[in-house]
Amino acid sequence: MIRVLPPEVVNQIAAGEVVERPFSVVKELVENSLDAGATRIDVALDDGGREAIVVVDDGAGFTPADLGLAFVSHATSKLAQLADLDHVASLGFRGEALASIGSVSRATIRSRRHDAGGGHEVHCDGGRTGDVRPAASPPGTRVEVRDLFHNTPARRRFLKTARAERARVQELLARLALARLDVDFTLRADGRELLRLPAGETLRERVGRAFGNALAEQLVDVELGQGSLRVEGLAGRPELARRDATLALLYVNGRLARDRSALQAVRQAYREHLMGAVQPVHFLLLAMPPDEVDVNVHPQKAEVRFLDGRRVSGLLFEATRAALRGSGAAPRAGAGAVGVGGDKPRAIVGLPPLPPDLFGRAERTSGGGSSPLPSGLRAVGAADRGPHTAAGVREAGAEPAPDALLGGLAGQPFVQALGCYLVFATPAGLVVVDQHALHERVTFERLRRRHDERGATLVQRLLTPEIVEVGAADKAWLLDQGEVLAAEGFVVEDFGGAAVAIQGIPAVLTRARPAALLRALLDGDAACGPVGEPDADARPRAREAVVERFHSMACRSSVMAGDRLDDAEVRALLREAARCEHAHNCPHGRPTVLTFTGAELERFFKRRV
Amino acid sequence: MKILCDRQQLQDAFSVVGGIPPVKTPNPIVQNVLLRAEGDQVVFFATDYELSARSVMASVQVLEPGAVLLPARETGQLLRELSEPTVSLAGSDDHRTTIECGSGSYQLVGDDPAEFPAEPQFDGTVELQVTSGAFLEMFRRTSFAVAREETRYAINGLLLDYDSGNLRLVGTDGRRLALCHQEIEGPDEPARAVVPLRALQALGRAIDGEQDAVLRVQLGDNRIAFQLGTTTVISQLLDNRFPAYEQVIPKVAETSIEVDRLQLERGVRRVAVLSSGDVRMVRFEFRDAALLLSAESSGVGRAKHTIDATIEGPSSAISFNPDYLLDALKVSDREIIRIDMTDDSTPARFALGETYTYVLMPISGS
Ligand SMILES: Nc1ncnc2c1ncn2[C@@H]1O[C@H](COP(=O)(O)OP(=O)(O)OP(=O)(O)O)[C@@H](O)[C@H]1O
Ligand SMILES: [Mg+2]
Repeated sequence: MIRVLPPEVVNQIAAGEVVERPFSVVKELVENSLDAGATRIDVALDDGGREAIVVVDDGAGFTPADLGLAFVSHATSKLAQLADLDHVASLGFRGEALASIGSVSRATIRSRRHDAGGGHEVHCDGGRTGDVRPAASPPGTRVEVRDLFHNTPARRRFLKTARAERARVQELLARLALARLDVDFTLRADGRELLRLPAGETLRERVGRAFGNALAEQLVDVELGQGSLRVEGLAGRPELARRDATLALLYVNGRLARDRSALQAVRQAYREHLMGAVQPVHFLLLAMPPDEVDVNVHPQKAEVRFLDGRRVSGLLFEATRAALRGSGAAPRAGAGAVGVGGDKPRAIVGLPPLPPDLFGRAERTSGGGSSPLPSGLRAVGAADRGPHTAAGVREAGAEPAPDALLGGLAGQPFVQALGCYLVFATPAGLVVVDQHALHERVTFERLRRRHDERGATLVQRLLTPEIVEVGAADKAWLLDQGEVLAAEGFVVEDFGGAAVAIQGIPAVLTRARPAALLRALLDGDAACGPVGEPDADARPRAREAVVERFHSMACRSSVMAGDRLDDAEVRALLREAARCEHAHNCPHGRPTVLTFTGAELERFFKRRV
Repeated sequence: MKILCDRQQLQDAFSVVGGIPPVKTPNPIVQNVLLRAEGDQVVFFATDYELSARSVMASVQVLEPGAVLLPARETGQLLRELSEPTVSLAGSDDHRTTIECGSGSYQLVGDDPAEFPAEPQFDGTVELQVTSGAFLEMFRRTSFAVAREETRYAINGLLLDYDSGNLRLVGTDGRRLALCHQEIEGPDEPARAVVPLRALQALGRAIDGEQDAVLRVQLGDNRIAFQLGTTTVISQLLDNRFPAYEQVIPKVAETSIEVDRLQLERGVRRVAVLSSGDVRMVRFEFRDAALLLSAESSGVGRAKHTIDATIEGPSSAISFNPDYLLDALKVSDREIIRIDMTDDSTPARFALGETYTYVLMPISGS
């Protein structure tokens, strides 16, 4: 027998799409508050949101009549007609969120319009809405969601620990808040304040509060306009790169958006700095006419579709690249934090929990360069890495000035420690160079230059081809990509059976072992993506993937971690590195050189606090 | 064991074996050197299981025969520091050896000599004889071209190729090949072996003082022994699959050039200063009775240098890694050398001496 489902059940099913976890409830409620023009939004969680989620705003508020419709699905004040869908400017537009939330919890809305004499409230329990009643309320709206998923036990079981849910909410709020610097956000959990983002701060200040000052200081400004499009925001220096893309953020008209090709365009701009599977950190705000972007493609509104995606991608790429070019990347020990707590920037900037202010303080005391630095040395980043670095764009074709720090180290006495670190005592402090990472950088830029300058790359031909047995699939791929590889200087030919013959290797890698190069190329970094798809559209991307994998392989196989270097080799490495465009981080984003200033050492030894 | 000996003799005998013990090993006992006193001599023996060496110090005053193990590294360092003419060594039951020299006394902790690997007994199936100095010279002219890789692949060793009275040494790393040959005493049947560089280096240390002695080379299935007086070096051989080197040496050439070796070496060295950018590369242009060397390092500068040359055939150009060429020019003793080449993507052949040939693969555009 076919039966029409009761509306509560329909809503419960639909709720699954909108409301997955406490953080999705918070997202919907905060977006509603923003749509209502709030200037202040307070979020509170009890038991990670299982017990209660409360969002209070000072926005326009509901009329008593609207309150009666609040939990009714498809009831929205934001879209009068279908035609409006073409230019949505508000965050909500489906009239779905409150109905969904009400169907899977015990929810109460208490609200008062600013011009009204008194407030009202309405309650909804598992989809059954009560009457609208007068209630005392300040201007604005307070939505309280209790016992989330009390009537859908399966879903309730899926909730993570209070701590994990809290962390997700915190991350969400931080991300939402970046698009609205004019709004004051607060997050409390079980009575404790977790996050306080006062209105009126700059994007950089807000990023600092939300994700830590150490991270905020490693960002460069991005700004570019083209016709009706405009992008601004902050791009992280390559060394901030991390495994996951949680801080690769793009906002479209104040809405956090996940558009693959747009994000890919930003990633492309990082290509000369980063490779492999690492993800950059960026906070980019894209502004465009609402009718040029479709936001109605995803139930949680996380994805958008651009009318002219190519133009958007082009703008994002240009803007990010210009910003990165205009900044000499240069991490300092304090920012990468050796010996103070995490080992990688990622450990520090990661959410949750929010980092202690340890690094923030360390940065401030060591920042300004109190001691004069003689002999051409400068503390890394002291000059060019202030918290408000401007995104200067280097003139096209201009030779980069050699890096003074690395250039100055060439010829200085050093010790090689732990097999791969070169330690220099300089007037500016202890400078530690990761020879492996630096060599990767040097090789990476060599390869890139060889590739950019002329179509043909220089090949060191082999006297006797090196015959290597490979699997059938590997062989097919190698022969398939033969042209691309040859353009990179790696000449491989069929040798019958399961074997290929290496006829030449890139002249820049002349000392590498041909067979080892081949193995590394085949093992590759799986994250470099699919290769050799026959699809015509995928070809150029496949080529890039091949080239990227090749470079990554070449770097790995040409380096010398653990190798002892003599003075002349170190000098040559430093000289060449000094001429690199991005000498201060390796192609995977790790720093190549750290400076421990006198002040930092004193702090480590507790001579100073 | 208790002996009294001449310091210089002790240093010499020890230095032949002292480089053999491995720095890292699962079996630390082989980090020692064995000394065994009997009659009026002391035998020194060290091994890393693949390579072993034995040397003898004669006319020793043996006060008490017996054997001791001495830690190779510390003993080597200590012996190098000694300067008085006479040294005494005395072992004790707990594997300690006391070395006395002048007013110094040094106690070194060794290990139980009974536990030390036995000296390998080895009789080869083929025996060759060559003058030690001449062999060392061939070694110097070919060993630099051997690939330095941590694998057992054949090009990581030097090929000894004997055929009807002619001994060849060949080294290659796949980019260049160095070949030296020498007429020697030997049997009729051919013999071939790929010898690890380390074995030849150990042998080189022994030959150093004995340029005119007879070096006896014994070849077996997978081992080789070198005997020079009382010194023996025995080594495992590498995989025999050495590249077919004769096919690699160009037989014909379109252009042949003769130049003064010293001028060429000096010219390449100078020009190479400006090839230190991305790719180490020097361009050779042959025309109008001159060799023009040039190099360029983007953002650093460029260099040109002309050398008189006799050229037969059409003018042409080719580029090489200068380091590869200098390696060979350095050990050549010829005044005028000949270069045979065809184009910029096939190997060039350098005649660097009566018995010395070098083949170098160019760098070219893909
Ligand atoms: N905090 C608030 N202050 C004032 N009005 C609100 C608030 N929250 C919701 N509303 C009103 O309730 C309506 C329904 O909200 P709901 O979130 O369910 O739908 P929506 O925001 O229109 O669309 P979406 O489902 O995409 O979020 C809104 O259109 C708005 O008029
Ligand atoms: Mg909404």
